[in-house]
Amino acid sequence: MTLELNRLTRAVQEMGQTLAHQQKDFNQWVERARAWLAEFADRGPTLREAAPEVGAAIPTDEPLDAVIPLPPLPERFTVIGADGTQIGPDRHGAALYYLINVGSLVYRHGSGQTPEARSLPDLRYREEDLYEGKLLVQGNLLDVRRDRAEIEHLADRVEAESPGQTPLPNPTLALVDGTLLLWVLENLSAEVKERNVRGYLRQLDRIRRKGAAVAAFTSRPRYTEVGRLLHLARFGEDRTRAEAEPNPLERVPDQAIFSFLPPGARSALFTSPRAINRTYYQAGGQEIRFFYINVAREGEEPVIARVEVPAWVAGDPGETPLLALAHGGVVAQSRIAGGFPYVLARADELAYISGPERERLEEMVETALLAAGLRPALSPKAYYKSLTRQGRRW
Amino acid sequence: MADGVIPVGRVLRASNRGFVVGCRVMQPDIPAFGSFVRAEGRAPETTIYGLIYDVVVQDDLFVRRFIIADPPEEVVRDQRENRQVPIEVSVLTVGYRESDHIFHAIPPQPPVTMDTLYQCSPEEVMAFTQRFDYFRLVLSRPEVPADDLLAASLQVAAVARPAQEREDFLVEAGRELARLLAGDLLRLDGLLKRLRSVDR
Repeated sequence: MTLELNRLTRAVQEMGQTLAHQQKDFNQWVERARAWLAEFADRGPTLREAAPEVGAAIPTDEPLDAVIPLPPLPERFTVIGADGTQIGPDRHGAALYYLINVGSLVYRHGSGQTPEARSLPDLRYREEDLYEGKLLVQGNLLDVRRDRAEIEHLADRVEAESPGQTPLPNPTLALVDGTLLLWVLENLSAEVKERNVRGYLRQLDRIRRKGAAVAAFTSRPRYTEVGRLLHLARFGEDRTRAEAEPNPLERVPDQAIFSFLPPGARSALFTSPRAINRTYYQAGGQEIRFFYINVAREGEEPVIARVEVPAWVAGDPGETPLLALAHGGVVAQSRIAGGFPYVLARADELAYISGPERERLEEMVETALLAAGLRPALSPKAYYKSLTRQGRRW
Repeated sequence: MADGVIPVGRVLRASNRGFVVGCRVMQPDIPAFGSFVRAEGRAPETTIYGLIYDVVVQDDLFVRRFIIADPPEEVVRDQRENRQVPIEVSVLTVGYRESDHIFHAIPPQPPVTMDTLYQCSPEEVMAFTQRFDYFRLVLSRPEVPADDLLAASLQVAAVARPAQEREDFLVEAGRELARLLAGDLLRLDGLLKRLRSVDR
């Protein structure tokens, strides 16, 4: 044992006391933020222009403090969740490769049928797969490949619900965990950004053409974009003054402000202020909007999540409006297991790669290399880790 | 899947007298109590035979969330039919094979960790149960439910045979049991009753 826990006793005690003290301040700011939400409820149109400049949520036509109750859902509807995990290229391993494993679950509400579970691994090892220009596909780039694999798999599953041109048999919601915005690309070159976002938007378009809704679900979100909007509103949309003054809501996540939402209700819609949203998503007609939602059951403590949808879901006027489907579908799914959509919990389980499975894959790769006449070898560092971490690897 | 037979799982820990296998299977495929299974021995061309005497379904935190929640039918079916449940299967060693010769005795070496365990085919079950010397190994082991295990294994062995041979096979098995348990008539009576209820 190398972590000497006895040396941390005092620090942990102090931590508890400090956090309890901070909580009092925090609660006061949450109350003020809610008061501002009501005070500036109708100022959305005047804040729209300045909001993205300060990274604040961009208001839509709904009042900022709108509370939209849980809409009725059809007796039968389908929710499809997909999630992915990856093994990144390891320069200490026997060979350079990466693996993306996508899991998915098709859950048909009201059918009494067994949901369809799938798990699809994809191994990439060729030069053209491992590099984007000069960059090795790892870290953020690999995350984006995983996001693209997830959305492509979702589009496949949606299309499989009704082959060819036939309409979907039931209203269908496609769900991913996290976000629809590939903002992790923001620091990369325009070419890498463009190629990846366009690829992603093509998949969203496939889902749109089938008439299904698509949404991303973030559990316990830490965004402060609505807080920034309120700060801006306090200075009468004067961006310069708002930026000059420290924002007391910068450490108050939006989800705390919206914990007043009754069970099943959602907040107003906002537009994400991310630069990538305006540059690529808006241009492609898929601007991303979001709302907060209380997915708790009646009579239980609030569980606030953030849901992102493209503009065509947010503004869809159809018979079962796609926005109502995303709203009601997320709540129905989250109430099954409590606080998190069932399809996403299962998709995560189906995509998960355990420690022994990782080792087994590495063994398979080594065996295949040997069979092909190559002599794979771990780096000295990896070799020594395999000796020292026995028994505490997972 | 080797030789068209179903792999049960992989050996987690082993001794000469028995071993435990870990597997993740769908619920309808859970290995049955009293089934004959085999694993490769360490020496070439040796096979170790065993009887499954305990199957433990491990605790599953995800399922726990639904126990009191009265989940929808779709969830129940998903949990039952799609989810792989972690299972530990305990096996009692009852014999081994070297080349073509089958011994009803404890093998010289246990199987190796991570070895695959297979369900025996009906032909293998018939070949192994040509004799009944393995009864002694089962009856002498206090940690296994020996009487139920013997009855279940004889049912498997009877079903592996053509219908017209089953009765004779079970009568022969009963005679061997009467010889072994001559000093414990109560136990013998219980075992024979179990055998009588075997589907012929």
